[in-house]
Amino acid sequence: MSDVPAIELRKAGARRGDYNILSDVSFSLPEGTVTFFMGVAGSGKSALLKTAAGLRPPDSGEVLFRGTSLARMSRKDEAHFRRVSAFVFQDAALWANQSLFDNLALPIRVHEGGMSKAEVERAVRRAVELVGYEEDLRIRPSDLSSGERRIVGLARSLVLDPELLFMDEPFSNLDEAAIERVSGIVAALKERGRTMAIVTSQSEFAGRYADFVAVLGGGGLKAFGSYEQAVGWEDASVRSVTGRLRRRRAEPKSATAWGLAGAWAEALAEDKAVLESETKVPEKKTKDQGEATLGDIINAVPDEDEEEDRGVAAEGGGNET
Amino acid sequence: MLDRLGRSVRRKVGDFLYALGFFLDVVKESALLFRRKQVGFKVLVMQILFTGVEALRISAVTAIAIGAAINLIGTSLLSEFGQSQVMYTMLIIIITRELGPLLTAFIVTARSGTAIATEVGGMVVAHEIEAYVSVGVNPVAYLAAPRLLGVVVSMVVLTIYFNFFGLLGSFAVVQLIKPIGIEEYFRNLAAVLRPGDLGMGILKAFVFGLIVSVVSLYRGFSVERSSTEVPVAGIRAVGSSFMLIIVADAVLTAMQYAG
Repeated sequence: MSDVPAIELRKAGARRGDYNILSDVSFSLPEGTVTFFMGVAGSGKSALLKTAAGLRPPDSGEVLFRGTSLARMSRKDEAHFRRVSAFVFQDAALWANQSLFDNLALPIRVHEGGMSKAEVERAVRRAVELVGYEEDLRIRPSDLSSGERRIVGLARSLVLDPELLFMDEPFSNLDEAAIERVSGIVAALKERGRTMAIVTSQSEFAGRYADFVAVLGGGGLKAFGSYEQAVGWEDASVRSVTGRLRRRRAEPKSATAWGLAGAWAEALAEDKAVLESETKVPEKKTKDQGEATLGDIINAVPDEDEEEDRGVAAEGGGNET
Repeated sequence: MLDRLGRSVRRKVGDFLYALGFFLDVVKESALLFRRKQVGFKVLVMQILFTGVEALRISAVTAIAIGAAINLIGTSLLSEFGQSQVMYTMLIIIITRELGPLLTAFIVTARSGTAIATEVGGMVVAHEIEAYVSVGVNPVAYLAAPRLLGVVVSMVVLTIYFNFFGLLGSFAVVQLIKPIGIEEYFRNLAAVLRPGDLGMGILKAFVFGLIVSVVSLYRGFSVERSSTEVPVAGIRAVGSSFMLIIVADAVLTAMQYAG
């Protein structure tokens, strides 16, 4: 595991108008760890997650991805950051004017412009199978229930097999089967050494998967520490959030998680074999984890000009205006 | 009191600088659109379809009616002063230089300006813009640039189209008052038409297209959280566009006559 954290916030602040949502928040997310962000409603959890994910620039302080400030990143580095990270939105945030297939295919078209139609379809199919979505992909998001939209939103975030995943309330507003599925995906991602930052108000899942726990409140970070430390926190306002966390006993890994991790590895191996047989694959880059991602298999990171020239080989984005 | 005034001024200056930065960014991304292969190409085509093609009917009807009205007013007024021969010059000046681009801009603002502002605003509220950023798509390049180009191209083409139908409407009235052949009518118009008239009309169409698209996009992207902000963005897009178009029209006209 690298010493440089995957994500680091240094005195980051977020404001809305004259109102301070967060101020002076500092922490780091080590590579390959799962951090749960908890707090009462309105404590700024989502704002913090979006700040950490580079979706809203901090009003003060800075956010670093593997040691490089997001604000000072070159185009190429930013493209790489977006390629290896993904965000699961609380309300799915699917593009309403595009089919589900195009919603899922857009990240691939953006970052893997050289992929053939068949390869894009294969990657999309793998992502929807992973989340257990079985309906037609030609329909638009408005034809789905909110729970289904969230499942498809999760599939979109997984379509490029990200190394870093930001998830905003991934377990809420889902039926039990879907919750179990999402829980299994989190377990499988953890098994595969992915870095995750998860906002949740359900301590049960933090109890299962957290390596680190952060508690937000009063416009800042009230507590941040390992799961073992979090169980022992005594501050009353922090305990009101983390009070249900218990010392962890060794639990057998769930069959779903094992199944998903195995299926995932198999799917990646299958993709790799198919791609190698169809195209000449560039030299694979070495990863800290020593494990190849789909991106490594398909393409090395292009140079800046190439990135700019390729652009978004997408067909959607709008619209009826 | 002074503190509040100072804060208000600071906010206004900040908003202005933000708007200026947004304008430059959209223009830059629009200039680079064709370098970034296939970026939002479908959006561009759809925008031209909606703003240009679907507005052909309303433009034609408006242009014919306006052309006819100008001719009726002009004929009765000018003949009183024995200046009927000025009619063709007046038609060219009023329709090609002034009303063609201005009324087309109003039509485009009412149809596409509101649509762009409310659609983009709706996307902001639904976090669709953030979703684009999260997957590495630059929303300005992907959503704004093709809309700007679509509106500008449509404005220029619609203005030429408006001019033609405006002059055709006038011809219809001429037929009622003093019938002449269509060839003779257009020959008379061509005799007084100067390249500068057409050029100014097209320049105005281009500038107005820029104004409508950038203002509407800016208003759309300025929506923050609530769905109630979306119709407000539409209203503001129309108000600001109208105001800026009229000011720009006055400035361009003044420049032409001063030059």
